Amino acid sequence: MSASPLRQMRALLVKDLRLELRTRETAVAMGLFALVGMMIFQFAIGTRTDDATPFAGGIIWATLALTAVLGVGRTWVPEREQRVLDALLTAPVPRLVLMLARSVALVLYLLTVQVVVVPMAIVFFVRDAAFSDLGLVAVVCVLADVAIAVVGALLASMSVFSRARELLLPVLLLPSIIPVVIAAAGATHAVLGPGNALDEYWRYCVFLGVYAVVFGLVAFATFDHVLDD
Amino acid sequence: MSSTIDAARRRLVGLGAVTAALMALSIVGVFLVAPEDADQGVIQRIFYFHVPIALISLVAYGVACVAAIMYLRRGGEKWDEVGVVSVGLGMVFSILTVLTGSIWAKASWGTWWVWEDPRLVTYLVVILLYAAYFVLRSSAEDNRRARYSAVYAVFAFAAVPLSFYSVRVAESFVHPVVFTRSGADMPGSMLIWFFVSLVAITGLFATLLQLELLQRRADRAMRDLKNRLETLMAGT
Repeated sequence: MSASPLRQMRALLVKDLRLELRTRETAVAMGLFALVGMMIFQFAIGTRTDDATPFAGGIIWATLALTAVLGVGRTWVPEREQRVLDALLTAPVPRLVLMLARSVALVLYLLTVQVVVVPMAIVFFVRDAAFSDLGLVAVVCVLADVAIAVVGALLASMSVFSRARELLLPVLLLPSIIPVVIAAAGATHAVLGPGNALDEYWRYCVFLGVYAVVFGLVAFATFDHVLDD
Repeated sequence: MSSTIDAARRRLVGLGAVTAALMALSIVGVFLVAPEDADQGVIQRIFYFHVPIALISLVAYGVACVAAIMYLRRGGEKWDEVGVVSVGLGMVFSILTVLTGSIWAKASWGTWWVWEDPRLVTYLVVILLYAAYFVLRSSAEDNRRARYSAVYAVFAFAAVPLSFYSVRVAESFVHPVVFTRSGADMPGSMLIWFFVSLVAITGLFATLLQLELLQRRADRAMRDLKNRLETLMAGT
């Protein structure tokens, strides 16, 4: 008798997180990449102005989007490198559970990086940020991460079985998450920018939620076909 | 097989003739009959082609999405071919939309591109999304190519409604919105030529789709014949 889907998902998630805790390959690389990325954006944009606050949302989310590509790119790679991918695919686990476990693991990786990177970015780029603003930015992070993770898990599953997958994934993923970057940057700017525009903030949050739900449904409907062999 | 190809060819000739007549009628109507816009002048006439091309590009992606769903449910090379040809035509129409939109923007707003307008930006995102379709198709292994393309066509089409939703979120006032909930914001003498142009562009899409599918079907028939001949030759 096979375990319930919830237990299967928990087992897969624990396996992913344990692997990451042992090696710390993905989260550390993503964190360092995000910091370097923010520095590059600072020199590209920030030095042209005394106050980088109006650009903060854009810098933060452009960097985090590129960082997400690294995290999503690592999806399925440990299994492939350690040759357990076929075993995982032949295990009596519904494909949807595999996708959900991947998505939750991705959300956790992204949140881990953001817990360090976003406060640092606020210190670097934002003048007069209030402590309460951090909570609102955290909501944006969670919504955007769910959207990125759902899309990322689906696209990573296709790219892992394709040729030139390192090139393919960014080409597939980055256009898909541009609306997320636009909305997340807009929401962050609405909170951190001059004059808290909470109406605008909630509109962007709703957009992020709708995006996550729409692509969640698409992934739900199509994921079985991606791993159909 | 050859009789069905012949029948399809005859249908294509008929469709092509009707489309050519409609295109000629719409060009005459748009440039010689439709009244000139009092505000924008002659450049407004690009609207009669820009909007139908944009709409039909979205229809092409819709056709690709339906073909993808049919492929995932029933299989069959035919649905994969309809999908890939529709996405290809959608890309051509999308690029034409951006070009005509750019020309219109330069004449009306004094700039080739406006980043503040989310509809333009999201339309560009849709183009990039579908450009990635071809990268995926060329990278996927042979036995997975059609399946992955189908999944991606469904996935990318989900981005299309977001392009309309994003307009409402960002409350842009740059992009003109002609068709509102209360109806079309233009007189009937203009509206009629818009619809003639829309039907002509729809015919153009249908003709090009049929042409490409017929060519692919003929290629497949030729390949089958060659394989059969090779088998026959090997037997003797």
